[in-house]
Amino acid sequence: MITKTLLLTIALAPLAGAILAGLFGRQIGRAGAHWATILGVALSTALSAYVLKLIAFDGHEAVNMSVYTWFRIGSIQAEVGFLVDALTATMMVVVTSVSLMVHVYTIGYMEEDPGYQRFFGYISLFTFSMLMLVMSNNFMQLFFGWEAVGLVSYLLIGFWFKRPTAIFANLKAFLVNRVGDFGFLLGIGLVLAYLGSLDYATVFAKAPTLVGQTFNPYGTVEWAVPTLICLLLFVGAMGKSAQVPLHVWLPDSMEGPTPISALIHAATMVTAGIFMVARMSPLFELSETALSVILVIGSITALFMGFIGIVQNDIKRVVAYSTLSQLGYMTVALGASAYSAAIFHLMTHAFFKALLFLGAGSVIIAMHHEQDLRKMGGLRKYMPITFATAWVGTLALMGFPGTSGFYSKDAILYAVGSADRAGASFAHASLLIGVAVTAFYSFRMLYLAFHGKERFGHDDRHGHGGHHDHGEHQPHETPWVVTLPLALLAIPSLAIGFFTAGPMLFGNFFDGAIFVADGRAPLAAMAHHFEHGSLSFALHGFLTPPVWLALLGAGLATYIYLFNPSIADRARKAFAPIHHLLERKYGFDEFNQAVFARGSVWLGRAFWRVGDQAVIDGVIVDGSAGTVSRIAFAVRRLQSGFLFHYAFMMILGLIVIVGAFALLQ
Amino acid sequence: MIDTWTDLLPMLPELFLLGMVNLILIAGLFIDERRRGLVHFIATLTLAFAAILTLRDFDIDGRVAVAGGMFIRDGAGDVLKLFVYLTMGIVFVYAKFYLRTHKLFVAEFYTLALFSVLGMCVLISGGNLLTIYLGLELMALSSYALVALDRDSPVAAESAMKYFVLGALASGLLLYGMSILYGVTGSLDLSEIATRLSSGEYPKVVLAFAVVFIVVGIGFKFGAVPFHMWVPDVYQGAPTAITLLLASAPKLAAVGMTFRLLSEGLEPLARDWSQMLGFLALMSLVVGNFAAIAQTNLKRMLAYSTISHVGFVLLGILAGSDDGMAAAMFYAITYALMTTGAFGMIIALSNAGFECERIEDFKGLNQRNPWFAFLMLLILASLAGFPPLVGFFSKLYVLQAAINAGWLWLTVVAVVMAVIGAYYYLRVIKVMYFDEPEHEHALQAPGDVRVVLAANGLLQLLLTFFVGSLTALCVAAWQ
Amino acid sequence: MNYESYLFLALATLLVIAAGAVVTLRNPVHAAMSLVLTFFTSAMLWILLRAEFLGITLVLVYVGAVMVLFLFVVMMLDINVVPLREGFARYLPVGLLVAGIMAAQMVAVLGGHHFGLERYTAPPAVIEGSNTAALGQLLYTGYVYPFEIAAVILLVAIVAAIALTHRRREGVKLQDPGKQTMVRKADRLRVVKMPSDTREGHGA
Repeated sequence: MITKTLLLTIALAPLAGAILAGLFGRQIGRAGAHWATILGVALSTALSAYVLKLIAFDGHEAVNMSVYTWFRIGSIQAEVGFLVDALTATMMVVVTSVSLMVHVYTIGYMEEDPGYQRFFGYISLFTFSMLMLVMSNNFMQLFFGWEAVGLVSYLLIGFWFKRPTAIFANLKAFLVNRVGDFGFLLGIGLVLAYLGSLDYATVFAKAPTLVGQTFNPYGTVEWAVPTLICLLLFVGAMGKSAQVPLHVWLPDSMEGPTPISALIHAATMVTAGIFMVARMSPLFELSETALSVILVIGSITALFMGFIGIVQNDIKRVVAYSTLSQLGYMTVALGASAYSAAIFHLMTHAFFKALLFLGAGSVIIAMHHEQDLRKMGGLRKYMPITFATAWVGTLALMGFPGTSGFYSKDAILYAVGSADRAGASFAHASLLIGVAVTAFYSFRMLYLAFHGKERFGHDDRHGHGGHHDHGEHQPHETPWVVTLPLALLAIPSLAIGFFTAGPMLFGNFFDGAIFVADGRAPLAAMAHHFEHGSLSFALHGFLTPPVWLALLGAGLATYIYLFNPSIADRARKAFAPIHHLLERKYGFDEFNQAVFARGSVWLGRAFWRVGDQAVIDGVIVDGSAGTVSRIAFAVRRLQSGFLFHYAFMMILGLIVIVGAFALLQ
Repeated sequence: MIDTWTDLLPMLPELFLLGMVNLILIAGLFIDERRRGLVHFIATLTLAFAAILTLRDFDIDGRVAVAGGMFIRDGAGDVLKLFVYLTMGIVFVYAKFYLRTHKLFVAEFYTLALFSVLGMCVLISGGNLLTIYLGLELMALSSYALVALDRDSPVAAESAMKYFVLGALASGLLLYGMSILYGVTGSLDLSEIATRLSSGEYPKVVLAFAVVFIVVGIGFKFGAVPFHMWVPDVYQGAPTAITLLLASAPKLAAVGMTFRLLSEGLEPLARDWSQMLGFLALMSLVVGNFAAIAQTNLKRMLAYSTISHVGFVLLGILAGSDDGMAAAMFYAITYALMTTGAFGMIIALSNAGFECERIEDFKGLNQRNPWFAFLMLLILASLAGFPPLVGFFSKLYVLQAAINAGWLWLTVVAVVMAVIGAYYYLRVIKVMYFDEPEHEHALQAPGDVRVVLAANGLLQLLLTFFVGSLTALCVAAWQ
Repeated sequence: MNYESYLFLALATLLVIAAGAVVTLRNPVHAAMSLVLTFFTSAMLWILLRAEFLGITLVLVYVGAVMVLFLFVVMMLDINVVPLREGFARYLPVGLLVAGIMAAQMVAVLGGHHFGLERYTAPPAVIEGSNTAALGQLLYTGYVYPFEIAAVILLVAIVAAIALTHRRREGVKLQDPGKQTMVRKADRLRVVKMPSDTREGHGA
């Protein structure tokens, strides 16, 4: 039975840990902090797994319950409530299990950091917020969870607040997300205005009534309400899930500690947008236009962010751009109405991307916080476990047949290939090229870090923190608290697709949670090949173009970075303009800096000049000594301090009230 | 008429209070200065026990009338009394520190303050014009004396004098209104008055005339414009601990008194009094907010801010509905918790030789003590009504009740005034966070003040999560 | 119009004149004496309404005790009245205007039209016999609750008065009988030994 107590325990256990570690960190000490939070999250993980088991295997019905009525103003009711169905249960398990791995890993990664307890407090708080977000049964709670995960994310990006780059990244993430949240809030407002409720069940039940309604912003212009709502909600998703052009904050968020990059900026928070759209599928299914927009935005992100990944030299940034690209894949799946494929990819991606990030973190620890790929190489001898798990992660990311990434990526490709909506062919082509690009940059990273010549240790100009002796400069395998999560994450990265692809994609697992309009069968083409099970599908995969493309990309990377490194330099010179463009990340940052940042500074100055100096100072303050301050001054004059003035005022007031309200009525 | 001892049971908390005040009065004579903390302890305990006794027979839907209808025990009254005890308990903690550092730590403070609490309880429970008036006088007389507690301060003496004379004038006016009401209806009992008013044919103009005087009496107690003149002078002139006392719990009692007089006794005349209250609310909102902008003294600024908040409370009352009264009560409760925090902060930052009461004294507080600055930020933002703090919700409920009652224009004025009002709170926040500290005064606030202050500040945030339950309580109390 | 009405009108007129004199007379002693007259006339009005107990109490308490005390204070303090009167003439027109409006409003509302005996019948005289007994009966039964509150208010007044005026003064010389009786000879008496002047002829 899924009871209120059970769900509350799942949500509140991490919060309890966060409070203990965050507020009483000094009292309970470092070990106390990590034990408190890990136990909280472990409890949550176990119970989430139990909930998933109940729903997936025991046929437990979806649960929709209200826990607490926060306030009621007129017809608007703000509640805390839980909606637990297959979609939620899947997300809960993904969130808690990745979070648990990251918690354990953090013990090793943050070992020497003075903000140890604070950090544990934050990641547990994040887990709580994320759970509240996915378990919500209404828009209000969704929005609060949305803002809460964002808040923790800012706090964590700026965790090393003494680094100016971290502060800049922090600010950037905050500002960009404001744009997304603004759209999201408008979307929620429209839902409330047109459907009169914030409760999922009510909204989804009433959603079909939106069809044909129009919104009239000005003149004779008319917008279809469902499209408007969906696009606004999707703007929110673009901010959170970093879709072009609101993607600029995610690469910079790598300024935060690596466990955070794995948990928040790869596995969970950034996928909140994907989750939200899937959750809102009954609304999105109403608007063909909105889905097309989603499709195009997603495919642009998937392809062009992949290209940037090729030229990055910072190990974390390569993974970050790969995350952007993979989020693009999920978005495309949403645009093709293949919500289950998006969620499936979300899940597999959460595991293998967390694995890759934590692997990168492990390398960073071994290299004493050196992140430049050009200064690595040949690490496979020194850190075998990290090396092996990195291979697993890379294979899953490129979609090698049999790995979990293979099933989810193929599902998306099939869905897009068979979709007939505007932009679908463009999306399909982009994704196919993207497959090769993905394979290329992931193998490039693998080879640069683990294979080839050892390039570290020669560069003595680079400081490695005062407390490291030069003598023990050699990299070494990281402690077990770091490698254990890697090993544990490698298992689902390899195998989870094999076991779950059938039920999640073709079974009725998501029935009732995800809604696809009648007549749309995005995964029918794939179902045809999947008839004989996962294994035969994987074997069949070797005969399909995506795998060939992936192998092509991987092969190219192997040739260039393993056997003939000079090609890379020559290619860089030959394609200098393109390389430059990619290095500059298509100039998004420059554009934003020039137009939005400088523009808003200019606008602010203009307002200051016109508004503050001319109107407020000139008209309101100086002009007639300030309407406001003049009234204030006049009122002050009344307060003369003389008792008889006061008494006189009272009598006067009395007379006025008697005259106005007793005699003249 | 009191026939048996069991008739006294509903007024057990008040009787207990009376007994304890007398005990403290006598014990205070024998406890020497070094052990005066004991008086504080007993007084706080008295409040706690009174709260327990109130909770013992707490029944949100119940209504018992004792002593021939002169004492009414009901859910709304109990909720108000419980919060009176709570705010007084907070006041005691802050006051102890202040009075100690200012050499005013005398047992009479506790005696008079508890007498004042007794007056508030009598007032809140008053079912008869006579008991309402007597409760009011009991509360007010104790307050006058408290303002003058610092005998060596000419400013305090002057403000006590003003308070006393104007208070006497106001209670004279109130009494006059009551006498006309008695003359017309022939009864002192409020429920009897209500029945006679709704059944009998009385000259409208006379009744409206009586209502004016009663509204004036109420307006004075609240400090509504134009009967507000005492507020800034008394708030600034009185010792801060006393200002804190005057600014918090009496407002709750005033809500109770308004409820008894207007919505119970003069319910049939709701049209008349809501018009008058509308005038008072409008004036209070405008004058309070504009005058606050021009202030440099924080105590005085808070006095004007009180006036503007009173405008909001009146906005809820004048809606005339159950929801409106509930909203007004919720507003008064949350306001009491905010204002204790604000004055508590002034007290906590002051010490023996230094009154931290000018706005510029808060310069750079964030650098000197970030935690206190954060708490003050919460309190001020809640006073200004920024979401998601509790002050936002209290404003929201009041405005909604006023709109439902058809007072749209006044609601719009209130919102505009709230926006203007945000300016002077923000100015203090700006001074705390962006200005350089001018002086270094060591913080001497003892542990209990720090703990209560932290709770008081964080309450602005935490109460947000319980807005639903708290408003449900208020709504249930008025039905 | 009967005898009682004439008496009422005469007393009421006197009352208003006396009350006016209280606020207008320059000499505080004269003003206080006018107040005494005011009390007397209102006491008579009460007796006219057959509220003998209240009328007599008014005379006993206010005239006999309060006003005498008041006169003592006025005479002892020797207040210089001139500065107090400074604003009088200046504010008189405004004051008269406001008072006039106020009075007009009151007349308009509370005149005979709304409050006359035609609208309200006079309450029946329910009390047979002594109204002192009747008052006592009411005070200690039906009105015991407000009566007790009034008592508490008086207590507060006493506490407030003492708290505000009583102070422990430094350097006050007081007798301590305990110390006086416990005193011993050695504490008070000092035996001084003077060198005896034995040399002859020194003074000579």
